Amino acid sequence: MEQAVMVEPDLRLVDQLMSLGAGDVKKCFQCATCTAVCKLSTAENGFPRKQMLLAQWGLKERLVEDPGPWLCFYCGECSKDCLRKANPGETMMALRRYLTTQYDWTGLSRLMYRSAAWELGILGLVASVVVLLFTLPRGFGFGLLNQAGPQALRSVMLDKFAPVETVHLADTMLALLLGFFLLTNAARMFRRLTRNDGIPLATYLRRLPTLALQLFTQSRWKGCQADDAIKNWVRHLALASGYMLMFTLVVIFLPWFQVQNDSLHWTSYLGYYATGVLVAGSGWMILDRARQRGEMYRFSHLSDWLFPALLLLTAATGILVNLLRVENLPMPTYVMYTIHLAVAAPMLVVEVPFGKWAHLLYRPVAIYVDAVRKDALAARG
Amino acid sequence: MSKSVGAYICSGCSIGESLDVERLAGVAREECKVPVCRVHPFLCSEAGLSAIRKDVTEKTVDAVVIAACSPRMKSAAFTFDPRLVVERVNLREHVAWSHAPREEETQRLAEDYLRMGVVKAQKMEPLEPCVAEVSRAILVVGGGTAGIAAALGAADAGYEVVLVEKEAGLGGRLGATRNDFPHGTPHTELPERGLARNITRLAVHPRITAHAGARVARTEGQPGAFEVTIESGGQHFSHRVGAIVMATGWTPYDPARLGQLGYGASPNVITGDQLETMLGAGPPVRPSDGKPAESVAFIQCAGSRDKNHLPYCSAVCCLTTLQQTDLIHRRDPRVKVSILHRDIIVTGQYERYFAEVQNHPATFLLRGEVSSVTRHTGDNLAVEVKNSSLGETIRVPADLVVLATGFVPNAPNGKNGGSSTPAQGASSGDAGQAASEAGAGAKAAGWPVDPGGALHLAYRQGPELPLLKDGFPGSNFICFPYETLRTGIYAAGAVHAPMDASAAEEDGLGAAMKAIQCVEMASRGQAVHPRAGDGSYPSFLLQRCTQCKRCTVECPFGAIDEDEKGTPKFNPTRCRRCGVCMGACPERIISFKNYSVDTIAGMIKAIDVPGEEEEKPRILLFLCENDAYPALDAIAMGRGRYDASVRVIPLRCLGSLNVVWIADALSRGIDGVMLAGCKHGDDYQCHFAKGSEIASRRLENVKETLERLQLEPGRIETIEVSLDEYRRLPAAIDAFAGRIREMGPNPYKGF
Repeated sequence: MEQAVMVEPDLRLVDQLMSLGAGDVKKCFQCATCTAVCKLSTAENGFPRKQMLLAQWGLKERLVEDPGPWLCFYCGECSKDCLRKANPGETMMALRRYLTTQYDWTGLSRLMYRSAAWELGILGLVASVVVLLFTLPRGFGFGLLNQAGPQALRSVMLDKFAPVETVHLADTMLALLLGFFLLTNAARMFRRLTRNDGIPLATYLRRLPTLALQLFTQSRWKGCQADDAIKNWVRHLALASGYMLMFTLVVIFLPWFQVQNDSLHWTSYLGYYATGVLVAGSGWMILDRARQRGEMYRFSHLSDWLFPALLLLTAATGILVNLLRVENLPMPTYVMYTIHLAVAAPMLVVEVPFGKWAHLLYRPVAIYVDAVRKDALAARG
Repeated sequence: MSKSVGAYICSGCSIGESLDVERLAGVAREECKVPVCRVHPFLCSEAGLSAIRKDVTEKTVDAVVIAACSPRMKSAAFTFDPRLVVERVNLREHVAWSHAPREEETQRLAEDYLRMGVVKAQKMEPLEPCVAEVSRAILVVGGGTAGIAAALGAADAGYEVVLVEKEAGLGGRLGATRNDFPHGTPHTELPERGLARNITRLAVHPRITAHAGARVARTEGQPGAFEVTIESGGQHFSHRVGAIVMATGWTPYDPARLGQLGYGASPNVITGDQLETMLGAGPPVRPSDGKPAESVAFIQCAGSRDKNHLPYCSAVCCLTTLQQTDLIHRRDPRVKVSILHRDIIVTGQYERYFAEVQNHPATFLLRGEVSSVTRHTGDNLAVEVKNSSLGETIRVPADLVVLATGFVPNAPNGKNGGSSTPAQGASSGDAGQAASEAGAGAKAAGWPVDPGGALHLAYRQGPELPLLKDGFPGSNFICFPYETLRTGIYAAGAVHAPMDASAAEEDGLGAAMKAIQCVEMASRGQAVHPRAGDGSYPSFLLQRCTQCKRCTVECPFGAIDEDEKGTPKFNPTRCRRCGVCMGACPERIISFKNYSVDTIAGMIKAIDVPGEEEEKPRILLFLCENDAYPALDAIAMGRGRYDASVRVIPLRCLGSLNVVWIADALSRGIDGVMLAGCKHGDDYQCHFAKGSEIASRRLENVKETLERLQLEPGRIETIEVSLDEYRRLPAAIDAFAGRIREMGPNPYKGF
């Protein structure tokens, strides 16, 4: 005799999900057309029908243990074909937003997703810290500006204004900090997904290549047979490569990358590539979202705007710093440099572990767990 | 045999190419000795018709045989004075279009049909209309949505209406104030309330007499002349009415029978009706402690779509639940309402309302099978749902559980002296009590009164409308809407089939229309559906009646009553002219002027049966006029072919088959007899409800006789065919003909 599980509808969670983008989830009447049109959905994991029901009832425990939302790449075919216009695609997106708040143990994510004021406030706070580091006199902050000296005001001496060692040190600390938060959040997610699943460790180990592959390529996306799937995947892959490259350059190779003169280091070429794809990729995303081109861009949460906007801003200010430096305009260069860091630092420290960017780890982990579950199921026969 | 028959043969529509028409005319002239026989290339033209009319007016002929197309065609052209005997011989569809042209067998087929037609015309008598003074008033039983619509519809059309309502006020279940479903655009808002406007209009209508708090104590007579006694507050009122609309509505299924759903075990399990009362007074509360319910769980199909309770979908419960959910959320949008269903079934534009109510954040739908309701914590209950769409067995907690109980028609079955369907049992206790009070008055007047009855018909076959399989009175819903098995009494609204108020309103109007047709037809002495306009009726040669009661028992419409000795008392306007009584009578004393045991027997005798040496079998094919005969016509229109050894005789209904015809046919050397009639059983399609079923029962006895005569029982076969299956008819005929050929000739040939 099967043990009957208590299922209690949670109205507050439903409200929360609806405000996170699942505004139409209640319209779903479980016909499963969405699951039928989805090429990535499988018999064992029939999303998004199941997630629609879980969201309609606000069943928190089941939602948090479900990798389903991360298995979807939001082509929007389900929303197009939905008989009730219940927008399953956007519901999956809303669930990803919700899950991001649930995996995060600091509670910061929850605050930011629930309120725009909190999100902008925290971003602003980190930005102010960066600005203050440069502008406060020595003794309060790094006092970087004071250190530069009068010589640096006559011609651009970025190293004097922002000594590479100091910035590099700050970069590394920042990377460690965001890495810590992101990894602990992802670990929390992993624990929730795999709790009591009874799958042997060996199965998990054998599937590690999947984790690595998906982390670097998200190649599962190609399986989605929607019209623009390949195009979107390539675009996303390029953007991600630019971003990862730039991150590596800044965190590891800054002493070479932050050049003092017009000499070109090999890192410079990589930097140009990264800047190029970052500008193109994020610009493209912003334009598409502004024009609401396609199901994926029909509904926009603040986090959806901030993600490409901060990227574009970082890239743009980076370019400007370089141009001003070449033009040898010391003060504008320093100001732009400060702005550049005041954009990049909050983006990295806030958006990566607590915001939409966290999907760079959550999605591969979910795909990995799903693959492991399938293996285990197959092994059981 | 004093009639002089004129035979008119048409050679148009390829009849002339297929047959030797002059040889055919020769058969009429020399063999049948008809005084007039004319061949015309275009008989339905004005020239052809005027030749017939000339012969009739000059009194050269007093019976006309038209050998042309199917009697189902050109009926307007070939309509003459109703007192003139007219017989149509189907040369076009049943001969020329469905058999090989210029073949000897085809020619002989045509000749046989002509002989049969002439004999029938000689034996038919002109119709004498049976017209009596009729009442055109219409009685409406039940003053709910359907009854009010029927009453207003008939009264607005100029007919007097008598309305009887058992409750003190009109309005039925919807009443004056309850919310109706949103049947107007945009179908998403709570609509107008109740029937107040119609009730007011009815109260002041000059042609409507309404009796509230009243019951029908007795109904005697027949369409056009029903004598109805109405009992109200100890007083009796008599009305003479022409037709009756029965709109007695429905009662929710007895929740006491739903013990597994917790009804009775916890006060916090209530029915939809109880919730409705609760919502009229304030927010939903837990009856156990009077606290406002924070969560409500609706259980759909409580008793419906369940073979142990009501096998059908009750049609209104889903919408009622959605509406009550809407009402709860209008009071308090934070009350969690879960709707546990097996499917949400809402029809048409109501889907929009469903979507609207479902879209509320606090509406929670879940598909599954509710298996039990148990105590959870304190006064809180838990509803267990098996096979839920969450993929397992789950339990949903709720402060208040509402059973969306199903739909039981208020249709007494007139047999168990009780209220309603067997499943319902003693549930409509209050209704029963009111009825027994009404019955007391009637008893004082000397009538045995069933307290749960609705019509109290003084009919030999029982006091109420016969019920179909699910306990609804009526007839095949698709083919014969509004019809019941009692002529002139039409079921409308919820008693007719599960339906909502808006459908019931329409249904009431439809039934009113049928009732009006009925009184008008009765005033002309003509039949109603399905032989609408037929002026014939059976006459009984009572001197030879043996009081066997077969006719009074078998009449599908209860048209024949009995006196104390069992002699049939025929009620002409109850009759639908099917001839089932004629087929039933072992003494062969029931006949129509134009359709009798003798006319058909004469047709059988007119068939020219070739001798054994010719090896040409003859097969008699009795076709029901309603589906099988048109089906064979349809085959001819598609130029389908079938064995030319068959001789078709149309019957009004297979139920009018008198087994003597089969004996006649076999003793004449006819090799096989096939009968094609309508489907019978629960989903019957028989136009006379029981005709084909009765025929197959009679044939069982015939087969025993065949065995005694050492004839193969396989020489007689019955098939069921509906018009839409016409394509399989030729194959069935040919297969039967093949089997007859294998059996060899009938040994009685030539005796």
